[in-house]
Amino acid sequence: MYFIDIAYAKAVAETAETVEETGLMASLGLDGRLFIFQLINFAIVAIILWFLVLKPLVKKLAERQKLIDGGLDNAKKAQEQMERSEVDYRAKISEAKKEAQTILEKTKKDAKTLSENLKIKAKQEIENLAEQAKKNILKEKDEMMIGLKGETANLIIAALEKILKEKMTGEKDKKFVEEALKSLK
Amino acid sequence: MPGSSPDASGDPTIIMHIPTLAPETLFYLFGIIPVTNTIINAWLAIIIFFIIGMIISRRASLRPGKLQNFFEFILESLFGYFDQVTGSRKTTLRFLPLVGSVFFFILLSNWLGLLPGTGSITFGNNFLLRPANTDLNLTVAMALTAVVASHVYGLVTVGIFTHLNKFIQIWPLIKSFKHGPIAIFTAIIEVGVGIIEIISEMAKVLSLSLRLFGNIFAGEVLMTVMSSLVALAVPTPFMLLEILVGLIQASVFAMLTLVYLSVLTVKPHGAEEH
Repeated sequence: MYFIDIAYAKAVAETAETVEETGLMASLGLDGRLFIFQLINFAIVAIILWFLVLKPLVKKLAERQKLIDGGLDNAKKAQEQMERSEVDYRAKISEAKKEAQTILEKTKKDAKTLSENLKIKAKQEIENLAEQAKKNILKEKDEMMIGLKGETANLIIAALEKILKEKMTGEKDKKFVEEALKSLK
Repeated sequence: MPGSSPDASGDPTIIMHIPTLAPETLFYLFGIIPVTNTIINAWLAIIIFFIIGMIISRRASLRPGKLQNFFEFILESLFGYFDQVTGSRKTTLRFLPLVGSVFFFILLSNWLGLLPGTGSITFGNNFLLRPANTDLNLTVAMALTAVVASHVYGLVTVGIFTHLNKFIQIWPLIKSFKHGPIAIFTAIIEVGVGIIEIISEMAKVLSLSLRLFGNIFAGEVLMTVMSSLVALAVPTPFMLLEILVGLIQASVFAMLTLVYLSVLTVKPHGAEEH
Protein backbone atom coordinates (compact mmCIF):
# COMPACT_ATOMS: atom_id res chain seq x y z
CA MET A 1 0.00 0.00 0.00
CA TYR A 2 2.65 2.48 1.06
CA PHE A 3 4.88 1.75 -1.89
CA ILE A 4 2.04 2.51 -4.19
CA ASP A 5 1.69 5.78 -2.35
CA ILE A 6 5.33 6.57 -3.12
CA ALA A 7 5.08 5.59 -6.75
CA TYR A 8 2.10 7.73 -7.37
CA ALA A 9 2.98 10.35 -4.81
CA LYS A 10 3.17 13.07 -7.39
CA ALA A 11 -0.18 12.33 -8.91
CA VAL A 12 -1.76 11.89 -5.53
CA ALA A 13 -0.20 15.09 -4.25
CA GLU A 14 -1.67 17.03 -7.09
CA THR A 15 -5.18 15.95 -6.20
CA ALA A 16 -5.07 16.32 -2.44
CA GLU A 17 -1.91 18.10 -1.56
CA THR A 18 -1.84 18.61 2.17
CA VAL A 19 -3.31 15.29 3.19
CA GLU A 20 -1.14 13.14 0.94
CA GLU A 21 2.00 15.09 1.82
CA THR A 22 1.77 14.00 5.45
CA GLY A 23 0.84 10.54 4.23
CA LEU A 24 4.07 10.27 2.24
CA MET A 25 6.15 11.48 5.16
CA ALA A 26 4.46 9.02 7.48
CA SER A 27 4.85 6.11 5.09
CA LEU A 28 8.58 6.83 4.88
CA GLY A 29 8.65 6.84 8.67
CA LEU A 30 9.47 10.51 8.97
CA ASP A 31 8.13 11.94 12.18
CA GLY A 32 8.95 15.24 13.83
CA ARG A 33 9.48 13.90 17.31
CA LEU A 34 11.46 10.89 16.13
CA PHE A 35 13.56 13.16 13.95
CA ILE A 36 14.46 15.39 16.89
CA PHE A 37 15.09 12.34 19.02
CA GLN A 38 17.47 10.89 16.44
CA LEU A 39 19.14 14.27 16.04
CA ILE A 40 19.82 14.26 19.78
CA ASN A 41 21.09 10.69 19.54
CA PHE A 42 23.49 11.66 16.81
CA ALA A 43 24.63 14.69 18.78
CA ILE A 44 25.35 12.46 21.80
CA VAL A 45 27.29 10.05 19.58
CA ALA A 46 29.26 12.91 18.06
CA ILE A 47 30.09 14.37 21.47
CA ILE A 48 31.14 11.01 22.90
CA LEU A 49 33.17 10.11 19.83
CA TRP A 50 34.92 13.43 19.64
CA PHE A 51 35.68 14.06 23.28
CA LEU A 52 36.29 10.51 24.46
CA VAL A 53 37.74 8.78 21.42
CA LEU A 54 38.94 10.98 18.58
CA LYS A 55 40.30 13.96 20.46
CA PRO A 56 42.48 11.97 22.90
CA LEU A 57 43.75 9.81 20.06
CA VAL A 58 44.55 12.76 17.82
CA LYS A 59 46.24 14.51 20.73
CA LYS A 60 48.37 11.50 21.51
CA LEU A 61 49.22 11.04 17.84
CA ALA A 62 50.34 14.65 17.62
CA GLU A 63 52.30 14.38 20.88
CA ARG A 64 54.03 11.24 19.69
CA GLN A 65 54.84 12.88 16.39
CA LYS A 66 56.36 15.82 18.23
CA LEU A 67 58.30 13.56 20.55
CA ILE A 68 59.73 11.55 17.66
CA ASP A 69 60.66 14.71 15.76
CA GLY A 70 62.31 16.10 18.88
CA GLY A 71 64.15 12.84 19.47
CA LEU A 72 65.44 12.79 15.91
CA ASP A 73 66.57 16.40 16.19
CA ASN A 74 68.33 15.66 19.46
CA ALA A 75 70.05 12.64 17.98
CA LYS A 76 71.25 14.76 15.07
CA LYS A 77 72.50 17.44 17.45
CA ALA A 78 74.28 14.85 19.58
CA GLN A 79 75.91 13.43 16.47
CA GLU A 80 77.12 16.88 15.44
CA GLN A 81 78.39 17.56 18.96
CA MET A 82 80.26 14.29 18.93
CA GLU A 83 81.84 15.02 15.58
CA ARG A 84 82.89 18.46 16.74
CA SER A 85 84.42 17.13 19.95
CA GLU A 86 86.18 14.44 17.94
CA VAL A 87 87.79 17.13 15.78
CA ASP A 88 88.69 19.12 18.89
CA TYR A 89 90.20 16.09 20.49
CA ARG A 90 92.30 15.33 17.45
CA ALA A 91 93.52 18.92 17.21
CA LYS A 92 94.46 18.94 20.88
CA ILE A 93 96.26 15.64 20.62
CA SER A 94 98.32 16.81 17.64
CA GLU A 95 99.10 20.07 19.44
CA ALA A 96 100.24 18.18 22.51
CA LYS A 97 102.40 15.95 20.33
CA LYS A 98 104.01 18.97 18.72
CA GLU A 99 104.66 20.54 22.08
CA ALA A 100 106.16 17.38 23.41
CA GLN A 101 108.41 17.22 20.37
CA THR A 102 109.66 20.78 20.87
CA ILE A 103 110.23 20.18 24.57
CA LEU A 104 112.17 17.05 23.77
CA GLU A 105 114.30 18.82 21.21
CA LYS A 106 114.99 21.69 23.54
CA THR A 107 116.07 19.36 26.31
CA LYS A 108 118.33 17.54 23.92
CA LYS A 109 119.93 20.79 22.88
CA ASP A 110 120.27 21.93 26.45
CA ALA A 111 121.83 18.69 27.46
CA LYS A 112 124.29 18.93 24.59
CA THR A 113 125.35 22.46 25.43
CA LEU A 114 125.61 21.59 29.09
CA SER A 115 127.79 18.62 28.42
CA GLU A 116 129.97 20.70 26.09
CA ASN A 117 130.35 23.40 28.70
CA LEU A 118 131.21 20.85 31.34
CA LYS A 119 133.76 19.30 29.04
CA ILE A 120 135.38 22.64 28.36
CA LYS A 121 135.40 23.52 32.03
CA ALA A 122 136.88 20.20 33.00
CA LYS A 123 139.55 20.54 30.34
CA GLN A 124 140.41 23.97 31.58
CA GLU A 125 140.58 22.83 35.14
CA ILE A 126 142.78 19.94 34.19
CA GLU A 127 145.03 22.27 32.27
CA ASN A 128 145.18 24.64 35.20
CA LEU A 129 146.01 21.84 37.55
CA ALA A 130 148.71 20.58 35.25
CA GLU A 131 150.22 24.02 34.95
CA GLN A 132 150.13 24.47 38.67
CA ALA A 133 151.80 21.15 39.14
CA LYS A 134 154.43 22.02 36.59
CA LYS A 135 155.12 25.29 38.28
CA ASN A 136 155.37 23.64 41.65
CA ILE A 137 157.73 21.08 40.29
CA LEU A 138 159.95 23.71 38.74
CA LYS A 139 159.93 25.73 41.92
CA GLU A 140 160.84 22.73 44.00
CA LYS A 141 163.50 21.85 41.54
CA ASP A 142 165.05 25.32 41.78
CA GLU A 143 164.93 25.24 45.54
CA MET A 144 166.42 21.83 45.53
CA MET A 145 169.16 23.02 43.20
CA ILE A 146 170.00 25.92 45.42
CA GLY A 147 169.97 23.69 48.46
CA LEU A 148 172.02 21.12 46.66
CA LYS A 149 174.54 23.73 45.56
CA GLY A 150 175.05 24.97 49.08
CA GLU A 151 175.28 21.50 50.48
CA THR A 152 177.63 20.48 47.76
CA ALA A 153 179.86 23.43 48.42
CA ASN A 154 180.01 22.61 52.08
CA LEU A 155 180.64 18.96 51.31
CA ILE A 156 183.38 19.78 48.92
CA ILE A 157 184.94 22.14 51.39
CA ALA A 158 184.82 19.55 54.06
CA ALA A 159 186.16 16.99 51.70
CA LEU A 160 188.94 19.25 50.51
CA GLU A 161 189.81 20.19 54.03
CA LYS A 162 190.08 16.61 54.84
CA ILE A 163 192.09 16.01 51.77
CA LEU A 164 194.38 18.91 52.21
CA LYS A 165 194.56 18.24 55.93
CA GLU A 166 194.86 21.75 56.27
CA LYS A 167 192.21 24.14 56.94
CA MET A 168 192.07 26.75 54.28
CA THR A 169 191.04 30.01 55.62
CA GLY A 170 190.74 33.43 54.31
CA GLU A 171 189.09 34.94 51.40
CA LYS A 172 191.47 33.45 48.92
CA ASP A 173 190.51 29.96 49.70
CA LYS A 174 186.79 30.53 49.69
CA LYS A 175 187.07 32.31 46.41
CA PHE A 176 189.00 29.51 44.94
CA VAL A 177 186.39 26.99 46.01
CA GLU A 178 183.55 28.97 44.70
CA GLU A 179 185.26 29.34 41.37
CA ALA A 180 185.82 25.66 41.30
CA LEU A 181 182.14 25.06 42.03
CA LYS A 182 181.03 27.46 39.37
CA SER A 183 183.04 25.59 36.84
CA LEU A 184 181.37 22.44 38.10
CA LYS A 185 178.05 23.69 37.33
CA MET B 1 3.89 -5.09 -2.45
CA PRO B 2 3.50 -7.92 0.00
CA GLY B 3 6.19 -6.65 2.34
CA SER B 4 4.32 -3.74 3.76
CA SER B 5 2.49 -5.86 6.29
CA PRO B 6 3.17 -9.48 7.30
CA ASP B 7 -0.46 -10.59 7.11
CA ALA B 8 -0.65 -9.45 3.51
CA SER B 9 1.43 -12.41 2.30
CA GLY B 10 -1.18 -14.90 1.19
CA ASP B 11 0.95 -18.03 1.58
CA PRO B 12 0.71 -19.21 5.19
CA THR B 13 3.67 -21.63 4.93
CA ILE B 14 6.26 -18.89 4.48
CA ILE B 15 6.02 -16.29 7.22
CA MET B 16 8.15 -13.31 6.28
CA HIS B 17 8.40 -10.36 8.58
CA ILE B 18 9.70 -8.02 5.95
CA PRO B 19 10.41 -4.74 7.66
CA THR B 20 8.25 -1.75 6.90
CA LEU B 21 9.75 1.53 5.74
CA ALA B 22 8.87 3.17 9.02
CA PRO B 23 10.49 1.89 12.21
CA GLU B 24 8.17 0.24 14.70
CA THR B 25 7.41 2.11 17.89
CA LEU B 26 8.09 -0.11 20.89
CA PHE B 27 6.92 2.08 23.76
CA TYR B 28 6.49 5.70 24.77
CA LEU B 29 9.00 7.38 27.04
CA PHE B 30 7.24 9.60 29.63
CA GLY B 31 4.07 8.90 27.72
CA ILE B 32 4.93 11.23 24.83
CA ILE B 33 8.28 10.38 23.27
CA PRO B 34 8.03 7.36 20.98
CA VAL B 35 10.92 4.92 21.25
CA THR B 36 11.41 2.86 18.11
CA ASN B 37 13.54 -0.21 17.59
CA THR B 38 15.98 1.84 15.54
CA ILE B 39 16.46 4.16 18.50
CA ILE B 40 17.26 1.12 20.65
CA ASN B 41 20.03 0.28 18.18
CA ALA B 42 21.30 3.85 18.25
CA TRP B 43 21.40 3.69 22.05
CA LEU B 44 23.33 0.44 21.80
CA ALA B 45 25.89 2.22 19.62
CA ILE B 46 26.03 5.10 22.10
CA ILE B 47 26.68 2.71 24.99
CA ILE B 48 29.42 0.89 23.07
CA PHE B 49 31.09 4.16 22.09
CA PHE B 50 30.83 5.39 25.66
CA ILE B 51 32.57 2.28 27.01
CA ILE B 52 35.31 2.44 24.36
CA GLY B 53 35.61 6.18 24.97
CA MET B 54 36.02 5.76 28.71
CA ILE B 55 38.76 3.19 28.20
CA ILE B 56 40.58 5.20 25.55
CA SER B 57 40.36 8.60 27.23
CA ARG B 58 41.62 7.13 30.50
CA ARG B 59 44.35 4.94 29.11
CA ALA B 60 45.51 7.09 26.20
CA SER B 61 49.27 7.29 26.45
CA LEU B 62 52.31 7.79 24.28
CA ARG B 63 52.95 4.08 24.48
CA PRO B 64 49.66 2.77 23.07
CA GLY B 65 47.98 -0.36 24.33
CA LYS B 66 46.25 -2.85 22.08
CA LEU B 67 42.92 -0.98 21.89
CA GLN B 68 44.56 2.40 21.37
CA ASN B 69 46.89 0.94 18.78
CA PHE B 70 43.95 -0.55 16.89
CA PHE B 71 42.04 2.72 16.84
CA GLU B 72 45.13 4.70 15.95
CA PHE B 73 45.69 2.38 13.03
CA ILE B 74 42.11 2.88 11.79
CA LEU B 75 42.37 6.63 12.31
CA GLU B 76 45.69 6.87 10.47
CA SER B 77 44.29 4.89 7.53
CA LEU B 78 41.23 7.17 7.45
CA PHE B 79 43.47 10.24 7.55
CA GLY B 80 45.17 8.97 4.42
CA TYR B 81 41.89 9.06 2.51
CA PHE B 82 40.67 12.28 4.14
CA ASP B 83 43.90 14.09 3.31
CA GLN B 84 43.39 13.28 -0.35
CA VAL B 85 40.06 15.09 -0.25
CA THR B 86 40.97 18.04 1.95
CA GLY B 87 44.51 18.46 0.70
CA SER B 88 46.09 18.93 4.10
CA ARG B 89 46.19 17.21 7.48
CA LYS B 90 45.29 20.48 9.20
CA THR B 91 41.97 20.74 7.34
CA THR B 92 41.28 17.07 7.96
CA LEU B 93 41.69 17.57 11.70
CA ARG B 94 39.43 20.63 11.52
CA PHE B 95 36.59 18.59 9.99
CA LEU B 96 37.32 15.45 12.02
CA PRO B 97 34.77 16.09 14.82
CA LEU B 98 31.92 15.81 12.34
CA VAL B 99 33.31 13.49 9.68
CA GLY B 100 34.91 11.07 12.15
CA SER B 101 31.72 10.87 14.21
CA VAL B 102 29.62 10.27 11.12
CA PHE B 103 31.94 7.54 9.87
CA PHE B 104 32.28 5.60 13.10
CA PHE B 105 28.62 5.93 14.05
CA ILE B 106 27.34 4.72 10.68
CA LEU B 107 29.90 1.92 10.59
CA LEU B 108 29.07 0.65 14.04
CA SER B 109 25.29 0.90 13.66
CA ASN B 110 25.46 -0.84 10.30
CA TRP B 111 27.47 -3.69 11.74
CA LEU B 112 25.29 -3.83 14.84
CA GLY B 113 22.42 -4.63 12.50
CA LEU B 114 24.16 -7.89 11.62
CA LEU B 115 24.16 -9.12 15.20
CA PRO B 116 22.07 -12.21 15.74
CA GLY B 117 18.86 -11.14 17.39
CA THR B 118 18.16 -8.41 14.89
CA GLY B 119 14.85 -9.44 13.38
CA SER B 120 14.29 -12.28 15.81
CA ILE B 121 14.01 -10.96 19.35
CA THR B 122 10.55 -9.52 19.75
CA PHE B 123 9.23 -6.88 22.08
CA GLY B 124 5.49 -6.90 22.19
CA ASN B 125 4.42 -7.38 18.59
CA ASN B 126 7.56 -5.89 17.08
CA PHE B 127 11.24 -6.72 16.83
CA LEU B 128 13.41 -5.22 19.52
CA LEU B 129 16.41 -4.54 17.27
CA ARG B 130 16.53 -2.99 13.85
CA PRO B 131 19.58 -1.38 12.17
CA ALA B 132 19.64 2.27 13.17
CA ASN B 133 20.13 3.46 9.60
CA THR B 134 16.94 1.81 8.37
CA ASP B 135 15.23 4.78 9.98
CA LEU B 136 14.92 7.74 7.65
CA ASN B 137 14.69 10.05 10.66
CA LEU B 138 18.27 9.25 11.64
CA THR B 139 19.73 9.44 8.14
CA VAL B 140 17.97 12.74 7.47
CA ALA B 141 19.18 14.03 10.83
CA MET B 142 22.76 13.18 9.96
CA ALA B 143 22.53 14.45 6.40
CA LEU B 144 20.99 17.71 7.56
CA THR B 145 23.66 18.09 10.23
CA ALA B 146 26.38 17.47 7.65
CA VAL B 147 25.00 19.98 5.14
CA VAL B 148 24.18 22.63 7.75
CA ALA B 149 27.63 22.16 9.27
CA SER B 150 29.23 22.61 5.85
CA HIS B 151 27.41 25.94 5.53
CA VAL B 152 28.44 27.02 9.01
CA TYR B 153 32.05 26.14 8.30
CA GLY B 154 31.76 27.97 4.98
CA LEU B 155 30.33 31.09 6.62
CA VAL B 156 33.08 31.12 9.22
CA THR B 157 35.89 30.42 6.76
CA VAL B 158 35.13 32.56 3.70
CA GLY B 159 32.93 35.19 5.32
CA ILE B 160 29.19 35.77 5.26
CA PHE B 161 29.10 37.91 2.11
CA THR B 162 31.29 35.63 0.00
CA HIS B 163 29.40 32.60 1.17
CA LEU B 164 25.96 33.98 0.46
CA ASN B 165 27.20 35.29 -2.89
CA LYS B 166 27.59 31.71 -4.04
CA PHE B 167 23.81 31.34 -3.86
CA ILE B 168 22.29 34.79 -4.14
CA GLN B 169 23.76 36.80 -7.01
CA ILE B 170 21.73 39.98 -6.50
CA TRP B 171 24.62 42.38 -5.97
CA PRO B 172 26.36 41.51 -9.29
CA LEU B 173 23.00 41.95 -11.02
CA ILE B 174 22.62 45.47 -9.66
CA LYS B 175 26.21 46.31 -10.57
CA SER B 176 25.79 44.90 -14.08
CA PHE B 177 23.31 47.62 -15.09
CA LYS B 178 26.26 49.96 -15.58
CA HIS B 179 27.98 47.63 -18.05
CA GLY B 180 25.33 47.22 -20.70
CA PRO B 181 22.98 44.49 -21.88
CA ILE B 182 25.48 41.61 -22.17
CA ALA B 183 26.61 42.09 -18.56
CA ILE B 184 22.98 42.16 -17.47
CA PHE B 185 22.32 38.96 -19.37
CA THR B 186 25.32 37.23 -17.72
CA ALA B 187 24.21 38.44 -14.31
CA ILE B 188 20.69 37.08 -14.85
CA ILE B 189 22.17 33.69 -15.77
CA GLU B 190 24.25 33.83 -12.62
CA VAL B 191 21.15 34.49 -10.57
CA GLY B 192 19.65 31.37 -12.13
CA VAL B 193 22.85 29.42 -11.30
CA GLY B 194 22.54 30.61 -7.72
CA ILE B 195 19.00 29.24 -7.53
CA ILE B 196 20.20 25.93 -8.94
CA GLU B 197 22.93 25.91 -6.28
CA ILE B 198 20.28 26.36 -3.58
CA ILE B 199 18.29 23.45 -4.99
CA SER B 200 21.45 21.33 -5.16
CA GLU B 201 22.08 22.01 -1.48
CA MET B 202 18.65 20.54 -0.73
CA ALA B 203 19.42 17.64 -3.05
CA LYS B 204 22.55 16.97 -1.01
CA VAL B 205 20.44 16.28 2.07
CA LEU B 206 18.06 14.13 0.09
CA SER B 207 20.74 12.07 -1.65
CA LEU B 208 22.85 11.58 1.47
CA SER B 209 19.95 10.42 3.61
CA LEU B 210 18.17 8.30 0.99
CA ARG B 211 21.38 6.60 -0.15
CA LEU B 212 22.25 5.40 3.32
CA PHE B 213 18.70 4.50 4.22
CA GLY B 214 18.10 2.69 0.94
CA ASN B 215 21.25 0.61 1.10
CA ILE B 216 20.89 -0.50 4.68
CA PHE B 217 17.14 -1.04 4.41
CA ALA B 218 17.62 -3.10 1.26
CA GLY B 219 20.25 -5.13 3.06
CA GLU B 220 17.87 -5.73 5.94
CA VAL B 221 15.10 -6.85 3.57
CA LEU B 222 17.55 -9.11 1.76
CA MET B 223 18.68 -10.70 5.00
CA THR B 224 15.09 -11.25 6.10
CA VAL B 225 14.13 -12.88 2.83
CA MET B 226 17.24 -15.05 2.73
CA SER B 227 16.92 -16.25 6.30
CA SER B 228 13.23 -17.02 5.88
CA LEU B 229 13.91 -19.04 2.73
CA VAL B 230 16.84 -21.11 4.06
CA ALA B 231 17.91 -20.22 7.57
CA LEU B 232 21.10 -22.31 7.57
CA ALA B 233 24.39 -21.29 5.88
CA VAL B 234 22.72 -19.60 2.87
CA PRO B 235 22.52 -16.11 4.46
CA THR B 236 26.25 -16.19 5.36
CA PRO B 237 27.61 -14.81 2.05
CA PHE B 238 24.95 -12.13 2.17
CA MET B 239 26.03 -11.27 5.69
CA LEU B 240 29.61 -10.85 4.46
CA LEU B 241 28.22 -8.67 1.70
CA GLU B 242 26.36 -6.61 4.29
CA ILE B 243 29.59 -6.12 6.28
CA LEU B 244 31.13 -4.71 3.11
CA VAL B 245 28.06 -2.58 2.35
CA GLY B 246 28.10 -1.22 5.90
CA LEU B 247 31.72 -0.14 5.54
CA ILE B 248 31.21 1.28 2.04
CA GLN B 249 28.13 3.27 3.02
CA ALA B 250 29.87 4.66 6.10
CA SER B 251 32.86 5.77 4.03
CA VAL B 252 30.65 7.16 1.26
CA PHE B 253 28.65 9.24 3.74
CA ALA B 254 31.79 10.45 5.50
CA MET B 255 33.61 11.21 2.25
CA LEU B 256 30.67 13.14 0.79
CA THR B 257 30.34 15.11 4.01
CA LEU B 258 34.03 15.90 3.76
CA VAL B 259 33.68 16.94 0.13
CA TYR B 260 30.77 19.26 0.95
CA LEU B 261 32.78 20.76 3.81
CA SER B 262 35.85 21.22 1.61
CA VAL B 263 33.94 22.76 -1.29
CA LEU B 264 32.12 25.32 0.83
CA THR B 265 35.23 26.36 2.77
CA VAL B 266 37.09 27.28 -0.44
CA LYS B 267 36.82 30.79 -1.80
CA PRO B 268 35.12 30.84 -5.23
CA HIS B 269 37.42 31.42 -8.19
CA GLY B 270 37.32 34.85 -9.70
CA ALA B 271 35.09 36.31 -7.00
CA GLU B 272 36.73 39.69 -7.56
CA GLU B 273 35.78 39.81 -11.24
CA HIS B 274 32.08 40.25 -10.63
